[in-house]
Amino acid sequence: MRTANKTKRLMPRKLVVRTNPHSIAAEQYRTIRTNINFSIPDLTSKIILFTSASKEEGKSTTAANMAIVFAETGKRVLLIDADMRRPTLFRTFQLVNNTGLSNLLLGKGNLKHSVKASGIPNLDLLMSGQIPPNPAELLESDILDELMGEMRELYDYVLVDSPPILSVTDAKILANRCDGTVLVVNTGKSEKVSVEKARDSLATAKAFILGVVLNNYPLTSENYYYHNYND
Amino acid sequence: MESTFNLNKFLKAMHKRKALIIFVTLAFVVFAAVASYTIMKPVYKATTQILVNQNTVSSQDVNSLDINTNLQLIGTYNVIIKSPAILTTVIEELKLDETAQSLTERITVTNIESSQVVTLSVEDSSMNQAVILANTIAKVFQEEIQQMMKVDNVSILATAEMTASPKPIRPDPIFNMAIGAIVGLVFGVGITLILDQLNTTVRSEEDIEEMPGLQVLGIVSPVDSNLKMEKPLNLSDRLEKDNYADSEQDKKINATKIGGSY
Repeated sequence: MRTANKTKRLMPRKLVVRTNPHSIAAEQYRTIRTNINFSIPDLTSKIILFTSASKEEGKSTTAANMAIVFAETGKRVLLIDADMRRPTLFRTFQLVNNTGLSNLLLGKGNLKHSVKASGIPNLDLLMSGQIPPNPAELLESDILDELMGEMRELYDYVLVDSPPILSVTDAKILANRCDGTVLVVNTGKSEKVSVEKARDSLATAKAFILGVVLNNYPLTSENYYYHNYND
Repeated sequence: MESTFNLNKFLKAMHKRKALIIFVTLAFVVFAAVASYTIMKPVYKATTQILVNQNTVSSQDVNSLDINTNLQLIGTYNVIIKSPAILTTVIEELKLDETAQSLTERITVTNIESSQVVTLSVEDSSMNQAVILANTIAKVFQEEIQQMMKVDNVSILATAEMTASPKPIRPDPIFNMAIGAIVGLVFGVGITLILDQLNTTVRSEEDIEEMPGLQVLGIVSPVDSNLKMEKPLNLSDRLEKDNYADSEQDKKINATKIGGSY
């Protein structure tokens, strides 16, 4: 195990869908995939935002695993790290955050050259890019709309990982432009009040809330149904 | 905050904290037991029975008038037994170190269903003393009543006896422990309810469904850290390596790694 360092470091994201495709958690992600598909409008390509009320509820882990399960279905998937304040995607996939979303929003480079291969079929990644001083203003720019248009042409699913909605305004701006928003809630940690505030915040942004993913949900006997199902 | 009572939720909360409830209940039972056996002083009770009846030698038949008179007298006698008139004499006789007032509180006089038998009970921390007291009170009462009422209609039916191993009437440890168990149970359930109300985090799918405008897309259970990888990953062994571009130095190092990720 990694020892605590001077600087606060996040644990590498657990891509359980990749490491244990038959685990209970992996099946749960697939269930969420199905439910998202049922609740999102029938578009040719879908841009889905992942956010949470506050930090460390599991947005990035959920987004990454969801990206993998969407890619499993043979659809072309792009996973974007839109958290330009505390980027994590490059760590999850052991890549380097040298160029990405912030560079594109500043008008440098193009989408096709900025995305990185994830090593997983059908899944491309777009890092956050260099950390800009003004992430919110960048997201407000018209370039984002153009980018989204390009993404729709290239991918069936675009999954966007964002900062917490109650901390900064970035997620609100994104939620307004995405087709649907998934709210990640850390079971037993997130306050009900915060979740309701996040919901109201998304409503203000005229976001389409797909629903809630309850992360770290204690395993109950019902879940064991999945066990031995494949064996 | 809706505070509608939901039995299912309530039972779930109880089930989740059953260890706490059991612990609190047991703690109360243990406390009751300790208090009963060590802290509380045992109290013993000795009883004598006094018959109130006109000892008429002349008429052998008991007429109802006599009985009625006697019954009315019993009421009076009950008061007299507990009166200082009797008790000061008892205290003097036994050289007790207490007042008539405090002795009164330890005496109960009853007569069962308007019979002519008066039961006199005395409570004391020593059985021996209780027996002596009960008998002395009965004796003094019998003597004094002759002078007071100018009648001789009181006879002692049964004297208090000292038994080999007397049982104290108080405390009753079993009863106390039962009370302790009930109080503890109520207490434990109360604590659980309060804790449940104080916890304002999202803990179940129902918590989300109760919020208008939100639905649960799914749940993700924590991954068992002992889970073995189903297939080897060249990613995995690199997770341990320091591959972060946090500091300037790291960035320089990583800059040389570009393109070499896979």
